[in-house]
Amino acid sequence: MRPPIPVSAPAERLAASSVASSVTTMPLVLDAPLRRARITSALWWSLALIALLCLVALLAPVLAPYSPNEQLDIVALKNQAPSVAHPLGTDQYSRDLLSRMLFGARISLSVAMLAVLLAATVGTAYGLVAGYLGGRADAIMMRLLDACLAIPRVLLLVAVLALWSPVPLISLILVIGLTGWFEVSRLVRAEVLSVMKREYVVAARALGTPGPRIIWRHILPNVLTPVLVAATLGVGNVIILEAGLSYLGIGARAPTASWGSIFFDGSDAFQATWWIALFPGLAIIVTVVAFNTFGAALRDALDPHQLAGGNAR
Amino acid sequence: MRRYLVTRLAQSVIVVLLVTTISFFLIRLAPGDPFSFVGDINMSATARDQLRAQYGYNKPVLEQFALFVANVARGRLGYSQSMHRNVGEVIADVLPRTLLLMSVALLLSFTIGIVVGAVQAVRRGSWFDRSLSGVLLLFYSIPDFWLALMALLALGYWLPIFPAGGMIDQVVHDYMSLGGRIRDIAAHLVLPSLTLALLSAAGIARYQRDTLLEILPQDFVRTARAKGLGERAVILKHALRNALLPVITLLGLSLPTLVGGAFFIEKVFAWPGMGYVAANAIASRDYDLVTGSVIVGGIMVTLGSLLADLLYAAADPRLRTR
Amino acid sequence: MRTRFLTLVVCGTLVGCGGREGPASGALTGGTMVISVPADAATIFPPHVFEQVGIAVRDQLYDRLADISDSLNTIGDKGFTPRLADRWEWAHDSLSVAFHINPRARWHDGQPVRASDVRFSYRLFTDPKVGSSVSPEISTIDSVSVRDSLTAVVWFKPKRPEAFYDFVYQVYILPEHVLKEIPSDQLRTSDVTRKGIGSGRFRLARWDAGRRLELVADTGNYRGRAKLDRVVWSVVPDAGAALAQLLGGQGDFLEFVPPDQVKLVDSSKADRSVPYPNLQYAWLGFNLVDNKNAARPHPIFGDVRVRRAISMALDRRAMLQNVFGSVGRISYGPFPRSISFADTTLRLLPYDVNAAKALLDSAGWREPSPGAVRERNRLPLRFTLSAPTSSRPRVAYAVLIQEQLRRVGIQVDLDQLQMNAFGERMNKRTFDAMLIGESTDPSPSGYKQQWGSAGIPPAGQNWTGYTNATYDALVDSAVATSDKSQQRALMRRAFQLQIDDAPAVWLYDVPTIAGIQRRIHPMSLRPDGWSFTLADWTIPPNERIDRDRIGVAGATP
Repeated sequence: MRPPIPVSAPAERLAASSVASSVTTMPLVLDAPLRRARITSALWWSLALIALLCLVALLAPVLAPYSPNEQLDIVALKNQAPSVAHPLGTDQYSRDLLSRMLFGARISLSVAMLAVLLAATVGTAYGLVAGYLGGRADAIMMRLLDACLAIPRVLLLVAVLALWSPVPLISLILVIGLTGWFEVSRLVRAEVLSVMKREYVVAARALGTPGPRIIWRHILPNVLTPVLVAATLGVGNVIILEAGLSYLGIGARAPTASWGSIFFDGSDAFQATWWIALFPGLAIIVTVVAFNTFGAALRDALDPHQLAGGNAR
Repeated sequence: MRRYLVTRLAQSVIVVLLVTTISFFLIRLAPGDPFSFVGDINMSATARDQLRAQYGYNKPVLEQFALFVANVARGRLGYSQSMHRNVGEVIADVLPRTLLLMSVALLLSFTIGIVVGAVQAVRRGSWFDRSLSGVLLLFYSIPDFWLALMALLALGYWLPIFPAGGMIDQVVHDYMSLGGRIRDIAAHLVLPSLTLALLSAAGIARYQRDTLLEILPQDFVRTARAKGLGERAVILKHALRNALLPVITLLGLSLPTLVGGAFFIEKVFAWPGMGYVAANAIASRDYDLVTGSVIVGGIMVTLGSLLADLLYAAADPRLRTR
Repeated sequence: MRTRFLTLVVCGTLVGCGGREGPASGALTGGTMVISVPADAATIFPPHVFEQVGIAVRDQLYDRLADISDSLNTIGDKGFTPRLADRWEWAHDSLSVAFHINPRARWHDGQPVRASDVRFSYRLFTDPKVGSSVSPEISTIDSVSVRDSLTAVVWFKPKRPEAFYDFVYQVYILPEHVLKEIPSDQLRTSDVTRKGIGSGRFRLARWDAGRRLELVADTGNYRGRAKLDRVVWSVVPDAGAALAQLLGGQGDFLEFVPPDQVKLVDSSKADRSVPYPNLQYAWLGFNLVDNKNAARPHPIFGDVRVRRAISMALDRRAMLQNVFGSVGRISYGPFPRSISFADTTLRLLPYDVNAAKALLDSAGWREPSPGAVRERNRLPLRFTLSAPTSSRPRVAYAVLIQEQLRRVGIQVDLDQLQMNAFGERMNKRTFDAMLIGESTDPSPSGYKQQWGSAGIPPAGQNWTGYTNATYDALVDSAVATSDKSQQRALMRRAFQLQIDDAPAVWLYDVPTIAGIQRRIHPMSLRPDGWSFTLADWTIPPNERIDRDRIGVAGATP
């Protein structure tokens, strides 16, 4: 069989590498136990942080001092700077910013996680099929994937969401998810190709085991690790993306609080109300750092090929 | 090599055609059209229908597509309703502005990325390496529009060192001397390009560091070390030179991120490039211009990955023979 | 810091640096004024102009035959002053007026202005293929004829006391020789209409669509050259950036300073805020017909009790205070207070939450459980409220209204729409409720278009579909009378009827506060358009900065 045409070889290298892993990946000079300890610690603190964020989101109704959309006093409590009564201040509609941030975590996190889940599922399925079929089908599927990858995603998302606006949250998740699976399927396909060459797969095929069964039993378990890593890293990206779309006014619909929409609500008066700009931004950064660190640490911990300091390849 | 080049080029053309088709339908199938509301609420329904007919929006979508393809084949990208010019002319006007912003940002981000990556590789494992990694991770995790807004707030408004948006001083620019004009553009370029550069420098630094660490254990580096060269000299003279090429292939791959990032940066800083024009076009349902911008974006991304592959092929002899 | 840097650059590099003015120009002429606007003019062709920037530019480039007085009288020709026509004579039966064109008047291309241009312009404005939105407003005109090359006669239909105003106010005189070759249905897209060849005291120097539009003084103008050399409309989409430019000195004039930033402008040494009157008022409009079938009443808003209850559930003063602070002005009814027949003593529905709840109960909309959304026959009391994203005050009002109505058991879904989608919903009447800000005509005839049954879309702009035969009759009588006090009395009765029928909740008069650099010395800012006097604004020589010294000649490179 002719080897498939390499598709943007550097892209595969890049997908395997990630900025985030620089926090955990330790160079050659370190001995293995020390390195392992560092990975483990990064894994745990980032996981703890993510768990904490999820817990906060789940417990928002208990933790929040006010209802997120309650306008406390639109004349007297408009745009109050942080104080004891309102630790993060209030917005222009006199809503408590802390309460909105807590409820906003629910929207931001769930949109990101659901969109990534969708992207990972679609991407894995597509990659599995392409990689398993191989040959011409694979070539065609990969060309199509190239086309999708070449679409400027942000531009297209903005165009589609703005032209169809206002869209319900579920559509937002669908649109983000369905434009985010391309990288995953490329990754999966590469992994499938390498698994297919392994002896037990070759043997299974020779014995006439049905295709779906081979995919399910032998291939899928092997590709899950890279998918899991990519998905974790993807959550961070989607949180940023959703915030950007909401900032443009085409994400979550008012009065729903998401970290991006809180930002949008305050965007005409940032010079005067710095707290509305600052806190959602910090929340996003902390969350994204947590997911990126976790994703990288996860990969380092799970990947047996990972040599100290090098790239997974 | 030639055969590889031809195949790769043909692929790129197909990819661009597919992008064009996909974006055309996604945009045309949205509710409304450029004339459903040309801003003028008082315009009569007949006047609207007249305009629709004049620009072919009254036809079925498939027929519109055929018309569109025929026009594009003749080099016509359509007519921009909001700019009152041909889409081709608009793009010819604004694309160079985006390219200017992106190339300055690329230059900056590669300089920052390569230097930081090399420094990290030299001092690998130290607290310095790790804290730099932390800083890079932080920048990698900042929302692009947020960093841009903060930069604008801090250095455009509170400490007004740089102009608060735009590409030129719209009033006096044309009356300046050449030197004055260049300084004017440069002053407007600082904040957007630096923001864009910081966002993508993280990836480059990481890649540079990894590549260097991979090369260091190789024979020629060992030889150099054995010759008694200092660690710094080894890295600068031998390892870095060999590590640069793979990093440069990153250039092409940075384009998709840059095209997306540039959208928000241009929006925040009112930089009148492709992203800014596209945002305005979307707001006024200027379909031809939106489609045109998406296509140009697609071409840039495709060219980027083509460039990356070619550079990679040039660097990797195994690929060349195929 | 940055301003100083740029100043140095400019001074060192400007061509001419002010030495180019002709000897004829007086000491007061000269200077460049920069107007920061959020969006570019959509069109500057008078029959099609509709938004603020286009209006301001149109009024510099084109002339009317005569101009209305500052008091905006619309009956007869009282107070009107000569523009393109240097004098006019009424026929004995008052059914026609002969306008004498100023013999010195020239188009910007040097051709003389002729009476035939008046006839041509009237035809363009009434041609359905041109599609001008003012054509219904000049239906009081019978015809226009040409007596000699400088005398045009305008014939009115009988018993139309406002016909003079209708013609001179709505019809801008356009150059026949420039436009006659273009088929009238192609004027909307023709390049010629973007060249701005008129007879005004400014001429169009350049227009980079989406970025800036530049006018220069027409030095040979029959009414004297404009005092300023140049006026530049600079597109700055971000409101914060536009304000920063004003404060930083890169901008000279900002048409709308956001209400909470007025203090900031006044505290700056170089700037001041100037409130000016306008004819805009904003309201929450209910769609009175079913948005799927215009023949049926709206399932919720078809009932006047619900509309009145909503009106009473809204704390208009608190919302005004929240959005506009001290610069807000509450609505006294369905009109802006600057209109000549405004009446501030009308009886509005009070803010009374308990009465609102009781009224909803009596209309059959009851809470299934305390605090839940009200229902009637299992139908929830729930509707969509649309606001345009481009209007920050209306977006804010939408959020405030949503919360206040939640407290009386009404669920409101918000649709923040881009302006084009917003307008489409208005036109097709596919909305439930909308926050609308509208400019009225100085004359009661505008009310026929906006609230009369004759104005139901697509014929006019009666978006809510309000129909009341008594109301129509009252407005008709007000339009037909030539007695000002009788007109006021008739309109007062019409307004009270409209308030009681509650097709809308009258929210606020749109406050317009401009930010101006102190070195600019403006003339009066008129309610129907701040820019009418622009050609007489000045920048005294001792206050000029570098960009003021570019000169007229330097402006057309």
